[in-house]
Amino acid sequence: MDILAKLGILANAAKYDVSCASSGVSRKNQGGIGNSKSFGICHTWTSDGRCISLLKILLSNDCIYDCRYCVNRRSNDIPRASFTPRELAELTIQFYRRNYIEGLFLSTAVERSPDYTMEKMITVLRLLREDYEFNGYIHAKVIPGADPLLVYSAGLLADRMSVNIEQPTEESLRLLAPQKSLPKMFASMQQLKEEIQAHKEARRRFRHAPRFVPAGQSTQMIIGATPDSDLTILRTTQTLYQKFGLKRVYYSAYVPVNQDSHLPALTASPPLLREHRLYQSDWLMRFYHFKAEELVDPQHPNLETDIDPKMAWALRHPEFFPVEVNRASYEELLRVPGIGPKSARRIISQRRVAAVSVDQLKKLGVVFKRAQYFVTCKGVCPAKKTLDPAAIRRIVAPESPITQLSLF
Amino acid sequence: MDYLYDGSFDGLLTCIYHHYYREAATGIYPQSFYQPNLLSPSMVVETDPALADRVYRAIEEKISARALETVYHVYISSAPDKENLILGYIGLGFKMGAKVDHYHSHPAVYPVHRLERKVIGEAHRLLGLLRFADMGGFLYAVMAPDHNVLPLLGDHFAERLAGERWIIHDKKRSLAIIYNGRDSSSCKSPVRSRWYITDFSYNLEDNMPESERRWQRLWQTYFQKVSIESRYNPRLQSRCVPHRYRRYLVEFQIPAPGHDSETEDSRKRFPRTPSIPPHSG
Ligand code: SF4
Repeated sequence: MDILAKLGILANAAKYDVSCASSGVSRKNQGGIGNSKSFGICHTWTSDGRCISLLKILLSNDCIYDCRYCVNRRSNDIPRASFTPRELAELTIQFYRRNYIEGLFLSTAVERSPDYTMEKMITVLRLLREDYEFNGYIHAKVIPGADPLLVYSAGLLADRMSVNIEQPTEESLRLLAPQKSLPKMFASMQQLKEEIQAHKEARRRFRHAPRFVPAGQSTQMIIGATPDSDLTILRTTQTLYQKFGLKRVYYSAYVPVNQDSHLPALTASPPLLREHRLYQSDWLMRFYHFKAEELVDPQHPNLETDIDPKMAWALRHPEFFPVEVNRASYEELLRVPGIGPKSARRIISQRRVAAVSVDQLKKLGVVFKRAQYFVTCKGVCPAKKTLDPAAIRRIVAPESPITQLSLF
Repeated sequence: MDYLYDGSFDGLLTCIYHHYYREAATGIYPQSFYQPNLLSPSMVVETDPALADRVYRAIEEKISARALETVYHVYISSAPDKENLILGYIGLGFKMGAKVDHYHSHPAVYPVHRLERKVIGEAHRLLGLLRFADMGGFLYAVMAPDHNVLPLLGDHFAERLAGERWIIHDKKRSLAIIYNGRDSSSCKSPVRSRWYITDFSYNLEDNMPESERRWQRLWQTYFQKVSIESRYNPRLQSRCVPHRYRRYLVEFQIPAPGHDSETEDSRKRFPRTPSIPPHSG
């Protein structure tokens, strides 16, 4: 099979993996090719509006496992292909020097055995880092069940690694991916976490100590393949951030690819809006100091779809508002719908030279339409009305047809 | 008095010098686009690097190094009134000092910051959207950006593609960055000194060697295969990759189905590719 045909099959098979981030590490070019920028660079966007930053591809789609939600499951009759490590390394370099990509996101089906597969991945990473002296970004998947020593070797070469937990509970995972187990995945995450910490500390003491997964680890959950609630999902997310120090949790709206009694029908469309609300909530947890329990609780186990989670929180907490823009702390400003980290910082910076008045809010980057009900400026309330959650809900709920933000 | 300058950064700074030490300017305009009018007299200001340098240092010392960068970013923008925005911003800056950048909503600051964000935003976008083709011996990228962001791209690619020789061509402005590779002498010198900008009006696009098509086809295939049909969202895509950038993006030049590009391409015989001009300092 020629490279073009392999590329077609193995890119197509990798497309459901959502993570494309190439940020979080800077790596200098030390005489070879490439570097990595901590801010991340998108190289293009596909017709579904997702950013392409990394060459996201499978080394092989020839899987011994039989996960129900996956196109590559053993029992599916589909064309199979595998790259040789050399082919994939060459492809990466050629794409990279043309500035098509920021690096490689290497994933793969489990070919023959987890250890065989992990070893083959390491060969690709070695070729790139050692033969080509490639300093661009590499994200490598941890193959569930692979020997911890192999995971360790891969971690010395990759910038980021991920163990995809796929489902928020052991029960759902067992149902859909009988060969995988959540405790085993958590064990891999724990291993990564410990090694990352140990290497960070070593580097503080010895400048030349090796780096280990310097951009941290991430994971992915499939949304909507099982009946798990947003509460379950966001609690799992919170645990992952707190317990394993994950850099990102990705959510992937389930795209039906297999006919299966345990799964939504093939005709079901992916729950894109729900995925979007989960990303917004995740964002609130990472950058706005929100806790999962503030966004969903046992009485409201699912996120509202017609308003975003921050607005939903604000409407449930009228006692918190209005916030006086000229006195509020950064954290308080962040609670206001329509104020984000950037506008909050600008407000605080401008307060050092001049008080902020109502007509300046827009210039500071505040989304006035949303913020007006929740703030005062020098005591003046822009909306000229007292806060009435029901009335505000009527105004803000019919959001313009959902335009998905690009949060990747 | 309207001051007219030659379009260079030094020229602009020279005008600002005269604004403070000779006669206050009613406006500063590039000479080549100036429409004379009867209401305000105008004068062509000759660029004086020594005077420009004094203004340069005054901004750096009396306002801040960051403000100097801001001024430069606005200068390379395509806003028609950029010179006067700079004049207003510097005016306030000399009064307020470094604090000027805190005053985000001030009429002399807000448009300057906004314009700067646009320029930096476009440069950042192009770090991803630029496409190189291997011309056999050097890499070549073409672009036609809204703003003159070429100077903001050099360091990034000089570090990333340090071992290659490459050209980034701004077709709209007939300018290019030339980077001549890592030779023994320049290896230790700072990245900035390893590339330079020059007038450039060659059209190399038609000289692409046959071998390059293979990589382009691979990339196009990849691009099509990773899109998920049930998430099709061209509006979102248009917001992320505006149409004006697509002309130079390999992945958006998909040949029409049934078109046999192989045979057609091999019929074309191209002239020898011109070599990269030597380093001119
Ligand atoms: S192990 Fe991975 S590739 Fe194999 S069936 Fe499961 S999800 Fe698919």
